[in-house]
Amino acid sequence: MSFGAPYLTLPEFTYHKPKSLKEALQLLNEFRDEAKVMAGGVGLIAFMKERLLAPNHVIDIKDIPELKIIEYRKGEGLKIGATVTMSEIEKHDIVREKYVALHQAVKAGSDPIIKNRATLVGNICEAIPWVDGPVPLIAYNAELEIMSVDNVRRMPVSEFIKGPVEISLEPNEIVTSVYLPDLPPEAKSLFMKFNTGSEFALATLAAYVNDSKKPRDARLVYGAVSTKPVRAYEAEKIILTNKNISEAVILAAEKASKEIDVISDVLATEDYRRHLVKLLTINVLSRIFEVG
Amino acid sequence: MGRWITLTVNGSKRRVEVKDNEILLDVLRDKLKVKSVKAACWRGECGLCSILLNGKLVKSCLVLAVEVDGSEILTVEGLARDGELAPIQRSFIEHGALQCGFCTPAFVLASHKLLEENPSASEDEIKESLSGIVCRCGTYYEIIEAIKDASKHYQVRKKV
Amino acid sequence: MSFKYVGKPIPPQDGFLKVTGTATYTFDLELPGMLYAKLVTSTVPHARIKKIDVSRALGVPGVVRVVTGKEYPYRVGMYAGDRDLLAIDKVNWVGHPVAAVIAETLEAAEKAIDLVDVEYEELPAIFDPLEALKPDALLIHEKMEEYRHSPAFKPIPGTNIANKFTLVRGDVEKGFRESDVVLEEEFHISHVSHCYMEVQNVIAHYHLDGTVEIWTSWQNVAPVRQIMALSLGIPHNKIIVRIPYVGGGFGGKAGLGWEALVAILSKAAGHRPVKLVLSRKEQFSTAAVREGFHAFAKAGFKKDGTFNAYSVRFILDAGAYADYTVNVGRAVGYSADGCYEIPNINVESLTVYTNKIPTTALRGFGYPESHWVLEQIIDRAAKKLGIDPSEIRRKNLVKPGHSHTCTGERLREDAGDPQKVLKTLVDEIGWGKPSENPPEPWKVRAKGLSLFVKGPAQPPNAAASAILKFNEDASIDLLIATGNFGQGTVTALMQIVAEEFGLPLEKVRVDYVRDTHKSAYTWQTVGSRGLFTDGIAILKAIEDAKNQIFTVASEVLRCPKDQLELVDGEVRVKGKPWEKIPLQDIVMGYTYPNGNSIGGPVIGRGVFMSTHTTYLDPDTGQGNPTIFHTFGGTAVELELDLLTGEINILKAVEVLDLGKVINPLLVKQQTHGGLIMGTSISLYEEIKFDERGWVVNPNFTSYYLVRIKDLPREVVARYIETPQLDGPYGARGIGELTMIGVAPAIANAIYNSIGVKLDRLPMNPEYVWRALREQRPDLVEEAWKRFSKYEKIVEVTI
Ligand SMILES: Cc1cc2nc3c(=O)[nH]c(=O)nc-3n(C[C@H](O)[C@H](O)[C@H](O)COP(=O)(O)OP(=O)(O)OC[C@H]3O[C@@H](n4cnc5c(N)ncnc54)[C@H](O)[C@@H]3O)c2cc1C
Ligand code: FES
Ligand code: FES
Repeated sequence: MSFGAPYLTLPEFTYHKPKSLKEALQLLNEFRDEAKVMAGGVGLIAFMKERLLAPNHVIDIKDIPELKIIEYRKGEGLKIGATVTMSEIEKHDIVREKYVALHQAVKAGSDPIIKNRATLVGNICEAIPWVDGPVPLIAYNAELEIMSVDNVRRMPVSEFIKGPVEISLEPNEIVTSVYLPDLPPEAKSLFMKFNTGSEFALATLAAYVNDSKKPRDARLVYGAVSTKPVRAYEAEKIILTNKNISEAVILAAEKASKEIDVISDVLATEDYRRHLVKLLTINVLSRIFEVG
Repeated sequence: MGRWITLTVNGSKRRVEVKDNEILLDVLRDKLKVKSVKAACWRGECGLCSILLNGKLVKSCLVLAVEVDGSEILTVEGLARDGELAPIQRSFIEHGALQCGFCTPAFVLASHKLLEENPSASEDEIKESLSGIVCRCGTYYEIIEAIKDASKHYQVRKKV
Repeated sequence: MSFKYVGKPIPPQDGFLKVTGTATYTFDLELPGMLYAKLVTSTVPHARIKKIDVSRALGVPGVVRVVTGKEYPYRVGMYAGDRDLLAIDKVNWVGHPVAAVIAETLEAAEKAIDLVDVEYEELPAIFDPLEALKPDALLIHEKMEEYRHSPAFKPIPGTNIANKFTLVRGDVEKGFRESDVVLEEEFHISHVSHCYMEVQNVIAHYHLDGTVEIWTSWQNVAPVRQIMALSLGIPHNKIIVRIPYVGGGFGGKAGLGWEALVAILSKAAGHRPVKLVLSRKEQFSTAAVREGFHAFAKAGFKKDGTFNAYSVRFILDAGAYADYTVNVGRAVGYSADGCYEIPNINVESLTVYTNKIPTTALRGFGYPESHWVLEQIIDRAAKKLGIDPSEIRRKNLVKPGHSHTCTGERLREDAGDPQKVLKTLVDEIGWGKPSENPPEPWKVRAKGLSLFVKGPAQPPNAAASAILKFNEDASIDLLIATGNFGQGTVTALMQIVAEEFGLPLEKVRVDYVRDTHKSAYTWQTVGSRGLFTDGIAILKAIEDAKNQIFTVASEVLRCPKDQLELVDGEVRVKGKPWEKIPLQDIVMGYTYPNGNSIGGPVIGRGVFMSTHTTYLDPDTGQGNPTIFHTFGGTAVELELDLLTGEINILKAVEVLDLGKVINPLLVKQQTHGGLIMGTSISLYEEIKFDERGWVVNPNFTSYYLVRIKDLPREVVARYIETPQLDGPYGARGIGELTMIGVAPAIANAIYNSIGVKLDRLPMNPEYVWRALREQRPDLVEEAWKRFSKYEKIVEVTI
């Protein structure tokens, strides 16, 4: 035993690079708990170096054509395949124009070199409390498509992430893509991150409203403040019910900072995070509603 | 238990036997002796292991060697042609954009790639594109100057 | 006088190799038959080792040997001599190496460390030096009296004090009584990691014949050899230490390294070469880092601002081993007065053992620590007295030629011009001119000043030497041991040689490998001394070589030596440039047409020896500790977000009296580098420990380093050239200085503008936010109102 995990090399495993989804699913079905899917590998390899994971089989899904797709269909929304990288998402026009919160989250995450490999789906599956990707996705009510040899299912991202590095995925399942519903033309969304002096966020917020003039649907999702992204339901209600929007913004911020679960950790204390939640909320909502 | 993979490294074809759990960084450095590729964190944080893999910058400490069979790799050793330095290399020297030099191969390569794609990169774009590489000696101002100064050569090239 | 090279912006001479990726570092080296070592480290902070079972580890294919401390009970060290090669009876921190695995591959070694079973009997651990000082505290070093330490230090066996430094000058109690204003303040700093990019790594080859070859990523060859010779009992000339390019040092590769251990591992592994490479995690938990500290200061001032009395107690959290930190403790102590004349001063500086990671020097060697305290005291006194911070500084600044430092040393007349430093600083930052209003009304802008002075912390007898030999074509090989880790010193030294001989720079070569066998001795390149000491040695070597050249030339040209000069690679008779000999006809000896020859190969030698430095008196700290002083100052203009606690540096000014700028390009680069590192350490960097003594942020994601996108918006560097008469071309050292003033300047800016005291480093957003809320709730309230009523919608910036 040694302190920490000072390793530079990886534990042993067998590498597989299936050419089709079917092949991948079969491999996964065969090895189950002994296998791990690898997309960009950015998270997986780091986890293996830390000995947090030591799969006997690594199934690299980068050669599977259908997982490389990113496409938008009017009325249906945006589909992002499991091996689409953060760089590809960041450059995607529809994402930039329509799914602004997602664009901002991807832009603000890691760095351009990492993003050439890291995938959004991998980011979700990693389920590290500090990551950015899931936060806007939950705000958009995005869903994952999950497949195994004998089943296809869909699940909202919000339910999929259960806790720190805990996800709702059977050992023989692969997340094939993430679906973002189409948004009404009046919809607005924004993402903001506080990470001064830190690589990872101390707090993030992704906000979505269906219409900034007449909000009937609003979602406030906070990341990096707790063990998983959390929604501020009460604060959302304040936005929808309060006629005076400037007042609503402040009240919602106060509410959000009180109602959600917040933790202390290496990066920040609970106090400070609650305070950041308030600031982020005012910042983001006043921009969405264009109020002072 | 090893597998043979083929890589084109800085223009020359190399065949090498690797184990499934070997990291590309280690194969490049230890087996292919491409020593310009450095490492300081081994987990994606410092950027010193950056290489161009099929034209894209990646951090080679987070890549398995087996997955890149058949790929093309460019490192800073491949930038100078016939003893003639690439403009960005000359500019790094002239502007004193290096101290201990340990981060220099990564910065030179990333800057070269940036200017090839975007010869008129703004200061903000320069900063954004290099934000994944650490220079502890703090040579950042000089690096920015070196890139700005070298950009004219890349603009000309792009026109040609 | 105009020069061809000196004072010119010559690009770094190692640039070509570095931009092409062909510069060789220890990290890149492999020797035939080389094995890999990996350390097994402690998981508990303080415990007796009951049993180490290596049998499972030996079963891993490829493992050659597993070595434990008991087998090789050597004690190693430079100053304190307090460390065993590997833990023997006791582990003293989480990360303490207890065994080393040697294997054919790194992979096998890494596998095997998991299979070394160590049984511990835990002891209570001490994490705070204040606890360690309590009379009933458990002893971390039970055998302190056995340690072989340098005479400059005072360990106190039977306590946890590794070194006690005391300084007494004047009568401080009387001084306080006679002061009009007396302040008492406390300050703290956290542990930080050097984070040089090249991790510590060593190759050792202990040959069968008893010769040991070392390749290491360290700052200096001589101390590595010295430590090995003294602790392993190997004669000096049987140890060959080689250092190629080094990927950063910052003081963290100057003290005790791993060379002695790896040499023993090589011996244990059947005399095959062994390489040890630390991982970044081990850099954060097993290699030495910079200490944390508490400081308790009391300062007395007269109404007119005269700094009358100062009493300060530094308690350094040295961690489990303090081999180099004892010297940091000493330097913190004797630099307590900064650049001010304080007639009555008392300093106690205790370097104290705790059950944390061992510590060592970091860029500035105690000076950033002492100035963090002193420079804030000055501003706090200024506010109390209603005097402007620049004015109170002006009033108390030392006067070269007249003043004495706190060690009783009279400052030389030519030590520099601190008043000019201050004036330049004040002008460049626009002191007195209020900052523009920030665009967002919940932020404030502020300016802060800090002055500093620094000399190299070194033993009084630290020497340097240089050998300069000519080749057939009159090119020169300069054999020096000057450390080569990015400071640009070597380029500056080459410029001096080219200048003196009137040769093109390309004709001067310094090999990139420092080698105890081949390079002329220099004690160490630390404390910003390299250019000064090695420069002087080189100038003497040049003089020596010139003398040899002129002796021959004078015979050949039939002209007295003093009538000769060296111009453009030729020896000429002054005033008769047609009477000349090209250098290449002399440097291997001159041959007359008939074949008769005189002279011979020219080899110049020169030394530097400081003749006026002394040990400091153990009771009063009086004496001459240093060979020169460099004065400087830092000013910042910053923007503080009252709501988040974020500090954003808008402008940083650095002024230094360098005596002579040998290379403006590289000096500027060093200045920028120091400012950036200073910003990073001031605002963000901190090694965090949990209640078990574990480092919880041993990587660059949770230990943040300033990146290219976090730079101060504008930086200004200004140099003053008050020549140091004995310095090379009048120059003084610079390397570390550029970092010292950053932290106090930032804290002072905030204190001056809104009266909030920041006593701790780092000044990260959360800490500043807390301080704001506690000390100025009114301001925070006001800012909050402005923020929530803010009209202007700004573009989202992330
Ligand atoms: C230096 C650094 C900085 C970073 N900064 C940020 C940041 O600022 N913000 C941020 O959000 N993230 C950050 N990250 C995290 C990074 O974005 C994620 O690690 C990355 O997105 C993971 O994607 P990947 O494709 O590499 O996943 P992989 O490493 O391939 O996989 C990660 C995990 O998900 C599983 N997995 C992947 N794909 C699937 C699938 N399709 N089906 C089932 N399971 C799957 C894998 O088995 C593995 O357990 C940073 C990482 C590094 C190294
Ligand atoms: S070594 Fe790969 S990013 Fe640091
Ligand atoms: S030059 Fe030393 S790390 Fe960049």
